[in-house]
Amino acid sequence: MGRVWRTTTVRLTAMFIAIFVGFAVVLLAVLAYQTSVRIQQQQTRAIEREVDHINLLSLRASVRTVAFAVQRLADRPGPGIYYLGDPTGTMIAGNVSSLPAAILSEPGRYELSYERGLEIYGEVEDTPRMQGVAIVQSGELPNGLRLVVGRDVGERRGFTAIILSTFWWGALAIVILSVVAGGLTARYVLRRIDAITDTSNKIMSGNLSERVPLTGSDDEFDRVATNLNAMLDRIEQLMAGLKQVTDNVAHDLKTPLTRMRNKAEAALRPGADRDVQIAALEATITESDHLIRIFSALLLIARAEAGMPTGALSRIDASEVVEDVVDLYTPVAEDEGLTVSTEVEPGLMMTGNRELVGQALVNLVENAIKYGKPAQGGAGDISVSARRQDDWIVIEVADRGPGIPEESRSRVFDRFVRLEGSRTDAGAGLGLALVAAVVRAHDGTVRFADNDPGAKAIISFPAAPREN
Amino acid sequence: MKILVIEDDRDAASYLMQALDEAGHVAHHAADGETGYAMAEGMDYDVLVVDRMLPRRDGLSIVEALRAQGDATPVIILSALGEVDDRVTGLRAGGDDYLVKPYAFTELLARIEVLARRNSPAEAQTHYQVADLLLDRLSRKVTRGGDLVNLQPREFRLLEYLMKNAGRVVTRTMLLENVWDYHFDPQTNVIDVHMSRLRGKIDKGHEVQLLQTVRGAGYIIRE
Repeated sequence: MGRVWRTTTVRLTAMFIAIFVGFAVVLLAVLAYQTSVRIQQQQTRAIEREVDHINLLSLRASVRTVAFAVQRLADRPGPGIYYLGDPTGTMIAGNVSSLPAAILSEPGRYELSYERGLEIYGEVEDTPRMQGVAIVQSGELPNGLRLVVGRDVGERRGFTAIILSTFWWGALAIVILSVVAGGLTARYVLRRIDAITDTSNKIMSGNLSERVPLTGSDDEFDRVATNLNAMLDRIEQLMAGLKQVTDNVAHDLKTPLTRMRNKAEAALRPGADRDVQIAALEATITESDHLIRIFSALLLIARAEAGMPTGALSRIDASEVVEDVVDLYTPVAEDEGLTVSTEVEPGLMMTGNRELVGQALVNLVENAIKYGKPAQGGAGDISVSARRQDDWIVIEVADRGPGIPEESRSRVFDRFVRLEGSRTDAGAGLGLALVAAVVRAHDGTVRFADNDPGAKAIISFPAAPREN
Repeated sequence: MKILVIEDDRDAASYLMQALDEAGHVAHHAADGETGYAMAEGMDYDVLVVDRMLPRRDGLSIVEALRAQGDATPVIILSALGEVDDRVTGLRAGGDDYLVKPYAFTELLARIEVLARRNSPAEAQTHYQVADLLLDRLSRKVTRGGDLVNLQPREFRLLEYLMKNAGRVVTRTMLLENVWDYHFDPQTNVIDVHMSRLRGKIDKGHEVQLLQTVRGAGYIIRE
């Protein structure tokens, strides 16, 4: 539970409660204050009107009439407070039982507590007396009588109390609801986050096949989880690839290293004559060149797979690259008794790295030359084509060799894979892996198809938008 | 030729110094960037061989500083960083050539000798001549002993490059770089096939073979 209180949701809820309560306090305080002021103003004005009225009356009427008028006012039900007395302090009319002498002698406005009753006539002895707080105005009439008019303020105070209690109950309800809602939300969020944390902990402890569970609601957590899972798939795939590569590197680098060592030992063998020594040293250099080549290819693949630095990309003419590579390799193919035919649309522009695309094509053409001789003799033709197809540049390198068995067509792009029958060749099984890495780095695709007979490598690169 | 080698690896440097000496050059050595820069600044060298990663000051910054001072001495950058963008940054810094480690000494030597004569008059010549082989760069015609030799455009460029550097060894990678503008290492004998075709066209039927193979290094065209 302690963790729930530390969540963002709870912090946000607390913040919203604070803001809301603060806002409500200000709003209600302003409302209460203004209402109170307004009621007070009305009461004061009513008092002033009555005082003026009685003042006027006392100018032209007898004391008796004035007393009657005051008593009539006093007898009305309501918050009014009235007192009329002579200068000696004897009450003539009104509805208060007693007033402090100070108020009667000194005209002005006061707030006081009072007792109210009808004992002026003494008719109803057991009339319940009301007590309250009032604002009163005391003064002297032109005929020398003392007049006090006032209003009970209990009503006003009651109103403020209602507002205050409304506020307290409201605030309490809001706080309780928010705490409950915030706590529930926080627990829900925490549960989803915990699922992700759990998964990542399991993955960190080595179980790469763990995935974040989905609720199927397609909410933001599901979307994050889906992305995380996709990322994990990719990582798992890369890790599996890396493991396979490590195993293969161990084998494919140790073998030539051993050969190299053997040759160096042969050169040092006592009694070896100079010709043998020179041959052994030359073989050592050949082996080390072979190793360097494997090493460079691996680095190049790793670099291409890690994604291309943007500085290495530019707008290149794929048609030109294809023509260059064909131009470079046609004599080699012809020496091997193969013909090369090309069909290249001019001006196929793409965004890429000329060196890498060229290298990939070279690898495909070298493969076609190496494995493209027809098994039963006959004309061996390597055909290279490049064309635009919708938004893609499609490059095909096809031969008339034995082809690649369907079940091996995707495997040949893995590192160090050599198919049966080619295992004795000098290559390291990295050529097609490099092709695949280069193609992937250019957001393209590569696959092998049947050339019937023969193998046909098909590469697609996204075409660059036509320049206007 | 006077060459400055700025290389921090003691073994590699001593081998280079000895091999350059045997090839008839005067070679000086600096083991760190600051020393190398001071030496390059203070003396007049024909070629600088600069390792890219050096203690105290890296190779690229040395080249940049020299170029900023208007020093145009040819520079070969040596580097273990051999990816496409590494080469581009190396040349952009002012390097004239970029050689990826590990390399064969013959490769470095060939490049040093070609670079050192880069600003020789051969660069501006309109025609090259080796014995009775004549190449006209303007009309793009080649004759051997007065007979016209019919060359494909690429063969012409191959021969042009060889004749521009007549008397000096050019390696297979130099040919691939300068004639095809690719920097990778072809697995097959692709350059040899082109060379044997070219040889068939210019040397066949002649007593003197001008286009010669230098074992373990490359090719040379000479009388």
